[in-house]
Amino acid sequence: MRHYEVVFMVHPDQSEQVPGMIERYTNLITKDGGQVHRLEDWGRRQLAYHINKVHKAHYVMMNLEATNEAMEELTTTFRYNDAVIRNLVIRRDEAVTDESLIMKAEKEDRERKSRYQERQATDDKHEQPAVEEADDSDSDSDDSTQDDSEE
Amino acid sequence: MSRFFRRRKFCRFTAEGVKEIDYKDLEVLKQYISETGKIVPSRITGTKAKYQRQLATAIKRARFLSLLPYTDAHD
Repeated sequence: MRHYEVVFMVHPDQSEQVPGMIERYTNLITKDGGQVHRLEDWGRRQLAYHINKVHKAHYVMMNLEATNEAMEELTTTFRYNDAVIRNLVIRRDEAVTDESLIMKAEKEDRERKSRYQERQATDDKHEQPAVEEADDSDSDSDDSTQDDSEE
Repeated sequence: MSRFFRRRKFCRFTAEGVKEIDYKDLEVLKQYISETGKIVPSRITGTKAKYQRQLATAIKRARFLSLLPYTDAHD
């Protein structure tokens, strides 16, 4: 058994199929004695360049421990599934279970957006000095976290 | 002898003791591609050979997954 990292990209129109696909693939791996160590759904992301006139794709990443046969089966299913527009399989030395950097960035993005919306909502409702103070401290903490990540 | 003071190049991966460069770490990878999308040579960035090789594979993987562009000419 070996450790693998698999990323596959699903056509955005077939996005609803993703949960079913994930289930099928995990079954395929586990029935052969394998294990899924990490499963991440990155959701629909903008592509850096168009692939077959598609501008967005639904990304899924899995870190697996699987037999050679199971992996071969998995890659053939990728090949014959038209919804999968691209896939990448790389070998890993050990099981990776930490949250990936893309997922982290995505979450931060979402948080920032929701915080921004909240702030706007509160600003619209009542403009009080207390709210402004809270906003200031918020932005300060933001800066400090960004500095940490850059260093 | 160059008349201008040139800032000393250093390899940030060696300095940070990075174990492996991850193709998912887009913020870092973006710093090592030029405006046209090319991989910046280590003679410019000062990256150590060991890490430059890892960096090249990481960037190529990210490009394949369309996380990074191959060029700036993708319409």
